[in-house]
Amino acid sequence: MSFARPRLLVGLQPYIRVISRPPSLHASFQARRLLSSSTSYRAQPSPHHHSAAVTNAKDIDPYKDGPSALDKAVHIFFFTEIIRGMWVVLENFFRPPYTIMYPFEKGPLSPRFRGEHALRRYPSGEERCIACKLCEAICPAQAITIESEAREDGSRKTTKYDIDMTKCIYCGFCQEACPVDAIVETQNQEFSTETREELLYNKEKLLANGDKYEAEIAANLHSEHVYR
Amino acid sequence: MARGKSKPYSNLNLTSIGLTNPNAYCADFVRKHDYESFLLAPFYPKSLQGAYFAIKAFSVELAMVQDNVSNVALGKMRMQFWREALKDCAEVCITHKRSKSIGLNVTEQGKPPRHPIALALHEAMQRVHLPLYHFKRLIDARVCLFHALDTELHTPTHLTIDSLTSHAESTSSTVLYLLLSLLSISSSTMSHAASHLGCAQTISTLIRALPFHAKHGRMVIPAEVTGKHGVRQEEVFRYGPQTQGIEDAVFEFATVANDHLMTAREMFKKEGMGGKVPQEARGVFLAGVPIANMLGELEKANFNAFDGRVQGRGWKLPLLVWAGYYKGMF
Repeated sequence: MSFARPRLLVGLQPYIRVISRPPSLHASFQARRLLSSSTSYRAQPSPHHHSAAVTNAKDIDPYKDGPSALDKAVHIFFFTEIIRGMWVVLENFFRPPYTIMYPFEKGPLSPRFRGEHALRRYPSGEERCIACKLCEAICPAQAITIESEAREDGSRKTTKYDIDMTKCIYCGFCQEACPVDAIVETQNQEFSTETREELLYNKEKLLANGDKYEAEIAANLHSEHVYR
Repeated sequence: MARGKSKPYSNLNLTSIGLTNPNAYCADFVRKHDYESFLLAPFYPKSLQGAYFAIKAFSVELAMVQDNVSNVALGKMRMQFWREALKDCAEVCITHKRSKSIGLNVTEQGKPPRHPIALALHEAMQRVHLPLYHFKRLIDARVCLFHALDTELHTPTHLTIDSLTSHAESTSSTVLYLLLSLLSISSSTMSHAASHLGCAQTISTLIRALPFHAKHGRMVIPAEVTGKHGVRQEEVFRYGPQTQGIEDAVFEFATVANDHLMTAREMFKKEGMGGKVPQEARGVFLAGVPIANMLGELEKANFNAFDGRVQGRGWKLPLLVWAGYYKGMF
């Protein structure tokens, strides 16, 4: 970072000189032109003007205290700005590049990133989903369709769990509503397909996703927790 | 180690955690999210350990809902799920007992939902009488917090220590009441001590979680305390331990916890218990050991809640818990 500092002086020299001087009328005009952001445009009383009325107007050199003509010309042609711009380019020439080789290198993702959906299982292999349909109820895009049936022991199980990934808005409400942590959104964002039909996910696809990403999902769920 | 279904430790390997062995799921869940409670489990009778984990897992699950949920409606939905699950658990128990007393094998109508924690609770309720109103109180307290979320723009801060204490009474203390009734202990002295211990527990967990909550822009120390020491909330969120007056506020807050802990200890000095927790209730009151340990660490760290010592588990804790059990003190 020590490189970045001295270059500022190159461009700032005229500004510093103007600022360090006692404020006078033309100097304030000069400042307004050079520092386009900070000068106020309100009328202000000028002590210099007062004295000008008393003394002879011929004795006053209005350019005496200001920057030289060369300085101004340099600014007119943006010479220092060009130099500064080139300096930035030179600096970055020696720095590592910001770009990453995307398909091979990947950027960081938050543990709360919401990507492709998955249905989880318990470590013993049983499906988590209990067909409570809370996710279906909360889904703002109505992308989830569930059909369920009662089993012999009285519990319910889904026979159909479809998500239309083209409707889904990735809000994560299904994940938040699920009382058994069954439906989750994984970190996978690379699931583009060639046909639209492939984006209509069924239960098998979702369960397969869950099996594929289980370790990652469990780690992400555990990464941000606090007991109270 | 295989001792049968109700032993949660019997199979802590991954393949058994699920619906077929809900107690193992609960044990694993508590181990991951509330390690200190996990350490206390061996000091309960073997036959009741499954029920202990079920109760603890239930309270952890409820406590975590507010973290996993981004709006109030979703939180209420999940709470409603648990309300109905409890109702089903209790109903099944009643019909089960009745059918047993009549000698009929009635098919059960309202099965608990196939959530491992609900199944484990169901099993626990069949084994021991656990009053349903304690469970309901737990849920109600958490739902109250959602209402606070709704009205106070997503900052569930407690304004006074009194409101925090009443919240602690209906969360941590209620869990302790449940554990007392799990051990079939009904003594007013014990319940009184448990209520104070619960307050100390809630406050110490809040102090411990201060960095976590500050990171998320929530202030857990009541405004009454922070106001007295001129702590600016925004500074806590931005600068953490460098905030002016935060240590004084933490000190005062921790003092409240310590007072509750000492009051709970005092309870056992009366009524001829000689300052020792009776043998049968030791498991419940061992919950005081991690609290005392954490408060001690906080004192060593000069009441800097952001210190690593306060945050960590500490390697001495299992030993302290073990010693506490044999000394009968917390």
